[in-house]
Amino acid sequence: MHRLKIFTFLTVSFLLVSNGIAQQKILLSKAKIHVGNGKVINQGLVGIDGEEIVLVENALTFTYDKTAWDTIIDLKGQELYPGFIAPNSTLGLTEVDAVRATRDFNEVGVFNPHVRSQIAFNAESEINTTVKTNGVLYTQTTPQGGIISGTSSLMKLEAWNWEDATLKKDDGIHLNWPSTTKGGGWWAEPAPKKINDKYTEDVIKIRNFFEAALAYSESDDLYDARFEAMRAVFTGTKRVYFHANELRALTDIIDFKREFSIQYPVIIGGYEAYKIADQLIDAEIPIIIKGGHTLPTNEDDPVDLPYRLPALLQEAGILFCIQNSGRMETMNTRNIPFLAGTAMAYGLSEEQAISAVSLNTAKIMGVDQIAGSIEVGKKATLFASKGSALDMRTNELTLGMIHGKFIQLTNLQTKLYEKYKEKYKSK
Amino acid sequence: MKTTFSLSILFTLLTTFLFGQLPTPNNGVEESKASAYVLRNAKIIVGPEQIIKKGSVVVANGKIKAVGKMVRFPKGAVVIDMKGKTIVPSFIESYSNIGVPTPKSKKWTPRPQIESSKSGAYYWNEAIHPEVKASEHFKVNKKDAKHLQEMGFLVAATHIEDGIARGEGAIVALGDLKNKESILKAKGPAYLSFQKGTAKQTYPSSQMGSIALLRQAIYDARYYQNNKTELPENISLNALNEQLEHTLIFKVEDKLEALRADKIGSEFDLDFIIYGSGNEFEAIESFKTWKKPLIIPINFPKPYDVSDPYVAQQIPLSDLKEWELAPSNPYLLHQHKIDFAISSNGHKKAKDFWKHFHQVLENGLSRADLLAALTTKPASILAIEEQAGTLEEGKIASFSVFDKDPFEFKNAVLEESWSLGKKHIITPQAEIDIRGKYRISLPETSYVIDIKGSATKPKGKVTTYKSLIDSTQTPPERTIDTVEVSAKINVDFRDAVIHFEVDDDQYDGVLTLHGNFSPKIDAFLGQGQMPDGRWVKWSGIQLSRFKKQEDEEKHRVEVDTNARGKVWFPNMAYGFDSLPESQTYVLRNATLWTNEKEGIIKEGTVILKNGKIDFVGTGNFSIPLDAIEIDCEGKHITSGIIDEHSHIAISKGVNESGQAVTAEVSIADVVRNDDINIYRQLAGGVTTSQLLHGSANPIGGQSAIIKLKWGYTPDEMLIPDAPKFIKFALGENVKQSNWGAYQTVRFPQTRMGVEQVFYDAFIRAEAYKKKWKAYKALSPKQALRKNIKAPAVDLELEAVWEVKNSERFISCHSYVQSEINMLMKVADSMGFTVNTFTHILEGYKLADKMAQHGAGGSTFADWWAYKFEVKDAIPYNANLMQEQGVLVAINSDDAEMGRRLNQEAAKSVKYGGMSEEDAWKMITLNPAKLLHLDERLGSLKEGKDADIVIWSDHPLSIKAQVLQTFIDGELLYDSRKSVDHYLRIQKEKARIISKMLSKNKAGEEKRTFHKKEEKHWHCDTIGDSID
Repeated sequence: MHRLKIFTFLTVSFLLVSNGIAQQKILLSKAKIHVGNGKVINQGLVGIDGEEIVLVENALTFTYDKTAWDTIIDLKGQELYPGFIAPNSTLGLTEVDAVRATRDFNEVGVFNPHVRSQIAFNAESEINTTVKTNGVLYTQTTPQGGIISGTSSLMKLEAWNWEDATLKKDDGIHLNWPSTTKGGGWWAEPAPKKINDKYTEDVIKIRNFFEAALAYSESDDLYDARFEAMRAVFTGTKRVYFHANELRALTDIIDFKREFSIQYPVIIGGYEAYKIADQLIDAEIPIIIKGGHTLPTNEDDPVDLPYRLPALLQEAGILFCIQNSGRMETMNTRNIPFLAGTAMAYGLSEEQAISAVSLNTAKIMGVDQIAGSIEVGKKATLFASKGSALDMRTNELTLGMIHGKFIQLTNLQTKLYEKYKEKYKSK
Repeated sequence: MKTTFSLSILFTLLTTFLFGQLPTPNNGVEESKASAYVLRNAKIIVGPEQIIKKGSVVVANGKIKAVGKMVRFPKGAVVIDMKGKTIVPSFIESYSNIGVPTPKSKKWTPRPQIESSKSGAYYWNEAIHPEVKASEHFKVNKKDAKHLQEMGFLVAATHIEDGIARGEGAIVALGDLKNKESILKAKGPAYLSFQKGTAKQTYPSSQMGSIALLRQAIYDARYYQNNKTELPENISLNALNEQLEHTLIFKVEDKLEALRADKIGSEFDLDFIIYGSGNEFEAIESFKTWKKPLIIPINFPKPYDVSDPYVAQQIPLSDLKEWELAPSNPYLLHQHKIDFAISSNGHKKAKDFWKHFHQVLENGLSRADLLAALTTKPASILAIEEQAGTLEEGKIASFSVFDKDPFEFKNAVLEESWSLGKKHIITPQAEIDIRGKYRISLPETSYVIDIKGSATKPKGKVTTYKSLIDSTQTPPERTIDTVEVSAKINVDFRDAVIHFEVDDDQYDGVLTLHGNFSPKIDAFLGQGQMPDGRWVKWSGIQLSRFKKQEDEEKHRVEVDTNARGKVWFPNMAYGFDSLPESQTYVLRNATLWTNEKEGIIKEGTVILKNGKIDFVGTGNFSIPLDAIEIDCEGKHITSGIIDEHSHIAISKGVNESGQAVTAEVSIADVVRNDDINIYRQLAGGVTTSQLLHGSANPIGGQSAIIKLKWGYTPDEMLIPDAPKFIKFALGENVKQSNWGAYQTVRFPQTRMGVEQVFYDAFIRAEAYKKKWKAYKALSPKQALRKNIKAPAVDLELEAVWEVKNSERFISCHSYVQSEINMLMKVADSMGFTVNTFTHILEGYKLADKMAQHGAGGSTFADWWAYKFEVKDAIPYNANLMQEQGVLVAINSDDAEMGRRLNQEAAKSVKYGGMSEEDAWKMITLNPAKLLHLDERLGSLKEGKDADIVIWSDHPLSIKAQVLQTFIDGELLYDSRKSVDHYLRIQKEKARIISKMLSKNKAGEEKRTFHKKEEKHWHCDTIGDSID
């Protein structure tokens, strides 16, 4: 399929991967570098030593000693991107949506901060292999359900097991803020939603839980599994990811954040966030917006509103990134580059769109020191594409790397493709 | 035969009105009653055409004996003075369930009930029970009757409100009557609906299923009628046949359902009377041609509670507009010369009925037309116009007495209802009217009381005085403080009791004054108890009269139609004020994706004229007169996108999942034109969609192929003479694999069984058609001689036969190669071709076999991993199939993806390196070919339909946005106008919300907003919206 023009070096590097030997020094040369922070180097050099990026320079002005590099890969005419990050994802937690035995993302219980997705992450998931090959190289593996669904972790998509895979363990808890409307039949036959009379009651439940957890965090000689999992929310850098969309919920979350002095609040969803962007900026709450491949929530909304939301947030100056939760989200994770592309078509600049799936995401999750952009000192997680990675026609990976290790550009699907191409050839 | 005969005699007896007395034993001496009544001095509304300002009605023996200005009073008649009162003929309710049992659901069980659980010789489906007779169940229910009486209805048709063929109604009188007296006509109209009701049988599970079931039942009834001697007795079909000869009232829940019901009627030459939903004004053009009357409710929606702006902003414009315009429904129908009767059904409180009654007048309907809609029209629908509907001589003496004319005054009170000549007091009247201003004299002091309100429930206000002494001043200053206190007043015959609480110079506490009122001198005299317990004498002398006239004027009905909003097409966000017209457009300087041998033309021109493509290319062309020129520099023009697999714009169920074979149902019966996704997909460049039945059964239902003509009626959206299609399905869905642990009963549960379902259906269809062919080969004479009658019509097998005979094409939901191969083998053995495999995710594994068989593939770009059978799905599928010569399309099956099919097609460039032109054809020309519509759709070619999209950019690029979409040369979507559109929507919302807010403030009853969730069908959606 992908006609790989990465010369002989590539064979070498694949051998290294398959032997499990760590890379030595690699230089990626002459690609157009989308740094991830908004900058572009039209012809750049990226040097990698082991897991890390050690050099990022302009190829036209920087002179280097060829002998200092074990491998030099010429990427002229190609585009180089930081590995994209999939936030709020069930990738690795499910294999076949309809088969219950493969669904590992929704635990029993209402307040489950102690339930951790990290250890359920399937590093060998067949779905992961199809996601990597489109440029998505990290995922925030995220539980669902209840009020507090559990604790997510940030994972690499290339690893032997979940321990290897972990980029950041237990990065945050996921809190489903109650909705002001409730019910509405079942999925096949939605009925009118009712005003959620229990909204206030539900919010009080959350407050009570946080009050008790906060009090607990001030003591060292008690043990409670749930409150223990909450400790780092108050004393560390554990994020609270509030899942909410409606205006009323968003304003209430701002108040809640202030009341409990939550250091690292994040809103996931945020459909109406653009309406109160100023307040969210004041409260320093970033947004993980749902990507545009979704229908407007309300009949009367502008038809292109979901496409435009990223641009509306960008214009307002709010820190945001893009996620793809929703129907068939697991397998659709591979389409995150095109969610960024759609956001670009509807108002973001190309580099802003790239940031929205790389550096912004890393910032929001607190891993921008090591991930999210092609900068010296960060982990070498990046990929090269023949053309724009944000366009379906030209997203074609020629190489990908996670922490300095090359990823395989084949997967279950390319294997089947080759197999049946062979079938017809022989006929 | 004997039974039928005697039954018909009974019917004849019952259909005559039961007025004479049959000999019945009496306990004691016969009941005493007046021989006649004369109601004199009343305003008599005889009927829509006649009002007697002051006249008399003579009532005897339950009937109107005489009516007029001057009538002869019979001897021995009780004469009642009705000065100031208005007599209105009884309203006639054509849709109610008064006095009959409320149907009860059987207990829910998780296991499906496939067959009927009824014992007896009834129809096979429990929702068809025409044998039920209201007259056999009717029992006087005073409470419910009083409710109708309070609304002026003394005659009502009643029926048991359950099921699709619900049975026969009865016409009853309401009032102080015994069971036997009540039934005016045992054989009333029969009732139908689309609602399955309490039946628990799995079939039907969708509205299209209900439609097919009812049609089949009527065919069955007619066949049964002609073949009675050959067939076992069937009670249901006997009853249905009988009913088909008389009035049938069809209850629907929406304007579109009204049109659907009417279509069934036309098929069988039956004039159903539609009992509508009140939103007929939204499809008024469709009703204009109707010759029969409608029945409409007037239980207009209540205003929403819009006090919370968070909630108010969520209310969709469609709901707001419906709320605003619903009270104008009767007037708008009348304006379009559509005949109708009005029903009170849906009102829980009589006061709401009267409010709506007056709203109908305020919105422009004349009093004569309103009265007719409540009396003579329903009388004629129920075929009782000889007996009821007006106060003419000889008709039943059923009428309401009001204190004033209810057509003129909103505060008119219904005081009495006379039913079959028997009086029934509805609002007890005060003997005296004490309203006015009085001086109340007590031993120590006096007060002024002003009594207002109604005569039966007067309310008083008493003025009291209290001295205030300011001792800081020298000399101390004295001021008088006036306090108004309210007084509670009870009137009982000629006595009144007045309570009020004072705190003044004289008393501190409650004063209770009991007095006798003398109407001759307008004064009170009586005893009262003071706060300290003393009893004293008191009197009340009238100072001024109550200004009745002035008060009345406030309640006068005023017609005001100025504030009424406009009906949009459709009546919701993004609707048009008026439908766009097909115009001549010259689109110049664009890159044209022709899909023809010319390929991609740069700087080309397309001319749209008379709904067709008139010119494509770069050569010479003349600009037609009145042409609209659009410079498309830098833009791309393509033919409209065609979605081979869509489930938008469908009402009440995409799957008829009740049986394994449901070829009889059709999506074309349930197309819904007010789905916002139509507009959203236009904004994504889609112009034509095949609306497919779901994949719940091996042989599903028939498709509808529509153009996304936003603003038009469902019938106008259907492509005329489109080829016929049907949905088949394979795999997990038809095996019910993901339906839960209890759904393990229906055949098939394995892929093995699926094959047998197909063989069985085709073999049955073959045998069925053989019978028909043999019959049709005979001339009518031969048939008669040989006594060969027409075989039974089987809607299911008709459609299956069409498939076998290559008159109807299959679009088959499919994933796994084994079963795909199986269906092709079934088809081969039966001599037809499977037209399209849709989804076809393993098509790449047997593309060679598909090409050989001649099947096309309509697939997803990259879906997989959502169920076990798609684990081998690969995004290279489209390429591999295409390379083997399979005609390939990319489809959506999803309302969201349907609006960016260009992106999905573009994925084939990435996955497998398809050429861009070929990729583009997968969502335009190829689906047109799969649908056999490529003669008129799918490319930019002169003579084809002007279904055109203008793109901002290369249409396969991620940057592409749709700028304009045309269908048949009509500009139906224009992105440049979308901002204006949005502002217009906001303005309209604000206008109506402020109207609502003023109703909220005025204290009008309101409802809480319930957010409607949009229905997004997919092919595995097993849903129904039938009860």
